[in-house]
Amino acid sequence: MKPVYLQRAQLCSALSEDLQTAAAACRQGQLPQPEWFELHERSERRPYLKVAGASMDLRQRLQRLIDASTDGALDDCLLILASTTLDIASIEARVMAGEATGNQIAPALDALAEELRQQWGFAGAFTLNTACTSAANGLLYGARLVARNHYRRALVVAFETPSEVTRQGFGVLELTSPSAAYRPFHAERDGLILGESYASVMISREPGPAPLARLLGGFSACDTSSLTTTAEDGSHIDWVMRRALHSARTTTAKIGLVKLHGTATTANDEAESNGMRRTFPRALPPLCMLKPYLGHTLGACGLSETLLLMETLRQGALPGTDYADQALLPLPAQALTVPQRSLLLANYFGFGGNNASLVLQGIPT
Amino acid sequence: MKVIAACEVRGLDRTDNQLKATLGEYLSKPPRRIDRLTLLALLVAAPLKEHLQADSGLYLAATYPARPNMFALLESVCAQQKLPKPFEFVNSVSNAAGFHVAQQLGMQGPNLFIGAGAQVWGQLLDLAGSDLERAQVRQALVVLIEENQLDGFIAYALVLENGGDTLTGRDFASLSGSVEAIRLNLGD
Repeated sequence: MKPVYLQRAQLCSALSEDLQTAAAACRQGQLPQPEWFELHERSERRPYLKVAGASMDLRQRLQRLIDASTDGALDDCLLILASTTLDIASIEARVMAGEATGNQIAPALDALAEELRQQWGFAGAFTLNTACTSAANGLLYGARLVARNHYRRALVVAFETPSEVTRQGFGVLELTSPSAAYRPFHAERDGLILGESYASVMISREPGPAPLARLLGGFSACDTSSLTTTAEDGSHIDWVMRRALHSARTTTAKIGLVKLHGTATTANDEAESNGMRRTFPRALPPLCMLKPYLGHTLGACGLSETLLLMETLRQGALPGTDYADQALLPLPAQALTVPQRSLLLANYFGFGGNNASLVLQGIPT
Repeated sequence: MKVIAACEVRGLDRTDNQLKATLGEYLSKPPRRIDRLTLLALLVAAPLKEHLQADSGLYLAATYPARPNMFALLESVCAQQKLPKPFEFVNSVSNAAGFHVAQQLGMQGPNLFIGAGAQVWGQLLDLAGSDLERAQVRQALVVLIEENQLDGFIAYALVLENGGDTLTGRDFASLSGSVEAIRLNLGD
């Protein structure tokens, strides 16, 4: 794939309302504090990571993201919305207020993307939903369409709103952490913490005034072994990572860091550990994971984690892991720096068998 | 990029059980506990199975999610303050339909799901074309599902390969014009 640049990155997350402050907090190992919600029909609480700052409705947040990530006319730009929840929170609020369910409360899947296309004058727009790989696929296919000259630019907007159906659903599947100790790859991990997030980035063939990173390639494919988990032996994850490296015309030996998906669920972390040892059988490269700092932002994680990773590395070192000696993979105990031009592999996996890996490169400041 | 096979399925007032019975004519072991979106995706894709190789990508679009499933979740979680049924929650992941199609048809490539709007055919062809052109896959299965209460449902599917001229059509009729499309009319 022809490399493309990621520019004008924006992130509103549990760490901060802006990307730079979030990265500074991440560097210092500052974990966000969760709020708690109760699982229906059980007297059990689960943690949730809301975004920092004042509350705002979804359209206000999207306006802010698009305004900050674009300039000038957008008639050469594709808009990709990546989300699993879209505007479900407002629908849930109507049902909680007593409105009957029915077709009148269910907008078309394309409605929000089309609304934004018309409002901002984008050349095209669509909604992409591939569960937790939505934003990673948004980056990958946005980059390919830009690289093939279908559009001069592509804006990826990824978000995950606080949905009661999602929180209760992950709860009933026993995937959420009761302890609020978010510890991916820990031998005694007890699940994930869901997180709210809003992120955007412009993809362009030119670096522009302040590029954050280059996207060199990637690959995404469907593991049909199970709807909710990937092959535990890591074989599919291994295959996807290798295809991603091939797409970027590079090899395992040149990878300076792997950003793991690391959900802290039993099955995912086991499969990813096995996949890593298949792809890097001789020696594992430096590793990191970011979900403790953002929560699992589901459809948005492919962008929110990519941006936090690249900005934190631009500012300095990634934080160490305080349970490194108890982890399935050799996570760094101390702060981790990598050369600014290092090639990075970023993993994103999801329900529906979707596995994706991206190959990125930082841009020296 | 060229079209090598096509299928169109139409129906009005068909219950899920009726759709499942029809699906059984094409698949020996259709998945259990699937929602309507998955049923429709399987119904239009299954007749094309013999044309598809393992190295294929799926590019699926729908105007709506599986609304009956979504309403059941909203009722139980938001109105009745109950926990959702696990299978209903898992099915609510919109790419569940794509997963089942890929599993049933043995497709191992990319699997994308997008919302269908006015530009949907162009978007599906762009996404499939970007993978075909870069040899990420040898074939692409493009599926569009449209459903509303008045007109029932129409589901379209095309199998694409590299070669031929640029596809300029932006509707099923013009895109499938070069092949003899399989047409199922499930009536009412």
